[in-house]
Amino acid sequence: MMLKRRAVVSVAVVAAFAAATAGCNSSDPASSGGSGTGTGDAKPPIAVDLPRADSDFWNSYAKYIPQYAKESDINLMTPTNSQNDIAKLVANAQALTAQGAKAIVMAPQDTGAIATTLTMLESKKIPVVSVDTRPDKGKVFMVVRADNRAYGQKACEFLGEKLGGKGKVIEFQGSLSSVNGRDRSEAFAECMKTKFPGITIFEEPTEWEGAKASAALQTRLAQHPDIKGIYMQAGGVFLAPTLQLLKSKNLLVPPTDPKHIFIVSNDGIPQEFEAIRKGEIDATVSQPADLYAKYALFYAKAAVEGKTFTPGPTDHDSTIIDVGNGVLEDQLPAPLVTKDNVDDASLWGNQIGK
Amino acid sequence: MSGTTTAPPVADAPPARRLRGPALARMRDLALVPAIIVLVLVGALIDPVFLSSANIINVLQQQTELSLLVLAEAIILIGGRFDLSLESTVGLAPALAVALVIPAASNGLGTEWSSALAIPICLLVGVLIGAFNGVLILRFGLSAFIVTLGMLIVLRGLQIGITGGQNLFELPSSVLYLGNAQWFGLPASIWICGILFAIGIAVLGWFRHGRAVYAIGGNRDAARAAGIRADRVIFVVFIVGGLLAALAGLLMTGRLGSVASAQGSGMIFTVFAAAVIGGVSMEGGKGTLFGALCGVIVLGLINNILTLAGVSAQWIQAIYGLIILVALMLARVTTGKAQD
Repeated sequence: MMLKRRAVVSVAVVAAFAAATAGCNSSDPASSGGSGTGTGDAKPPIAVDLPRADSDFWNSYAKYIPQYAKESDINLMTPTNSQNDIAKLVANAQALTAQGAKAIVMAPQDTGAIATTLTMLESKKIPVVSVDTRPDKGKVFMVVRADNRAYGQKACEFLGEKLGGKGKVIEFQGSLSSVNGRDRSEAFAECMKTKFPGITIFEEPTEWEGAKASAALQTRLAQHPDIKGIYMQAGGVFLAPTLQLLKSKNLLVPPTDPKHIFIVSNDGIPQEFEAIRKGEIDATVSQPADLYAKYALFYAKAAVEGKTFTPGPTDHDSTIIDVGNGVLEDQLPAPLVTKDNVDDASLWGNQIGK
Repeated sequence: MSGTTTAPPVADAPPARRLRGPALARMRDLALVPAIIVLVLVGALIDPVFLSSANIINVLQQQTELSLLVLAEAIILIGGRFDLSLESTVGLAPALAVALVIPAASNGLGTEWSSALAIPICLLVGVLIGAFNGVLILRFGLSAFIVTLGMLIVLRGLQIGITGGQNLFELPSSVLYLGNAQWFGLPASIWICGILFAIGIAVLGWFRHGRAVYAIGGNRDAARAAGIRADRVIFVVFIVGGLLAALAGLLMTGRLGSVASAQGSGMIFTVFAAAVIGGVSMEGGKGTLFGALCGVIVLGLINNILTLAGVSAQWIQAIYGLIILVALMLARVTTGKAQD
């Protein structure tokens, strides 16, 4: 670290900070590569910026990164962490560039404000792979992301069928300022409108906060005791508050009971699988943390090697589509998990913590 | 006037303020009552469910954690200081307590202490944070705003560091109890908040140490000249603040059934909004706890009405803010007093 800091005086503070934050996260010794130190090979270094350290999903993603880097023989630089702050992401990108990164994998949570950084990276001929989100503007080599509209769609179809096309459903929306929250909300609303017009939806804005979801659910249940379905757009934040509230109202009953409220979640964390096994919730859409890490690195490596891609189906059950302005997006499959396939060992939620 | 027979100089200092104090304070106290009445009427018009006892209990229960933080912040503000770190204490105190007692497999620290210790640890963490704030601000003379802003970040970071950013799901039943239990037909958390506010109002209204907080917040030097041990009183106030924040965290943890890594994050803005709407002055020395409680209830009613009315997600924040402004104007018109 000292050597590096001396070498890149101009970004010393930023780099040190970036490395320090990353140090807290990367537990795998394989991730401590750095640019051209020791390993003695000419493999181009690839940098990864993690978006945040406070969610189960991203922590799993962070664990998969060094693992897949090793598998695909990638010279991975120590990952940085931008803590859900666009300013830190910009600083990290500059520091990583100064350290000699040949490609950067990032997940900008603010999809608008990253544009100038992308322009800067493009001018330096550093390809960018954007994970989970699609920047509103700017050049990226590839967007790796699950089809978030499919999340809303799948949740709607599942709930619609279980409810027989009628009844009342409450939806915990994420933040509408994030592209993922927006996609899920829109697709869910559209599908409900066209396929199950008999179902009434209550859309509750929550800003991804469990406390807000809990309060909204409590109020709605007092107003409409006959609510029969819940769609939560993120299991990590909404699962426990929802179950706790239903438990205190004696509404947490098995699917065979007529009082049962059908719940569909998004994320696919282990706690959701556990709840599915217990019959407390009915389904979730598993957001593929492992595939995010795997294909982010795959495309970063491909970009450095000068490969190009065209729209169309891929070899891993996904489709690359052109989302406009020449930006390509690899939409990874996100399976619906129910009681029938919850024990499937290939789901990432079943692989961690074991 | 009661309980001040000892230490005559102390008894002398506050009355000078108190002569004008109570009348003015009582006006501020009741300033929000018209706003609350209007909100109740609007709520009843929007949906008859609003007035059902189940809904009213829901509103009160949802506001319990916020009300404890507002209680803490109001006392600190009245004492002429600031504490921004309360919102992080709400997350860290229960997170640390839970992490110490649950097994490592559930994201705990692996110490697996007896789960009976969870609640004492949680409250102790709150006390220690309050004491630490107090030492930095009073002993070393640092700015309360900056110290507690730093603490807000440090404490949140500690929570994320300790838990590895994970939400803690598997909670011991003792931690879940307070947020869920029903005492005499009402949620326990409502009783707890009601009793604590009653104690707070009594202490700040009629007891020597409580009046001393007003005196210090109004004019620290005068209070010291009058023989009040200003630093000691404010030190205790910070500790009480930390303790109340930890208790709020405990209630929230129980109610939501998990310790989210962002638990309490962003709450401090609502806390200040409630306190200031309720007539507590940011300058210190002015405001009452009853007023602050009214501020909490106003915010709770607005939230509830917006949910019942089904306001669209895109507009809810704008309307929320607008209603707060209208409530303030209503208070201004009905009391005829300029606000500060």
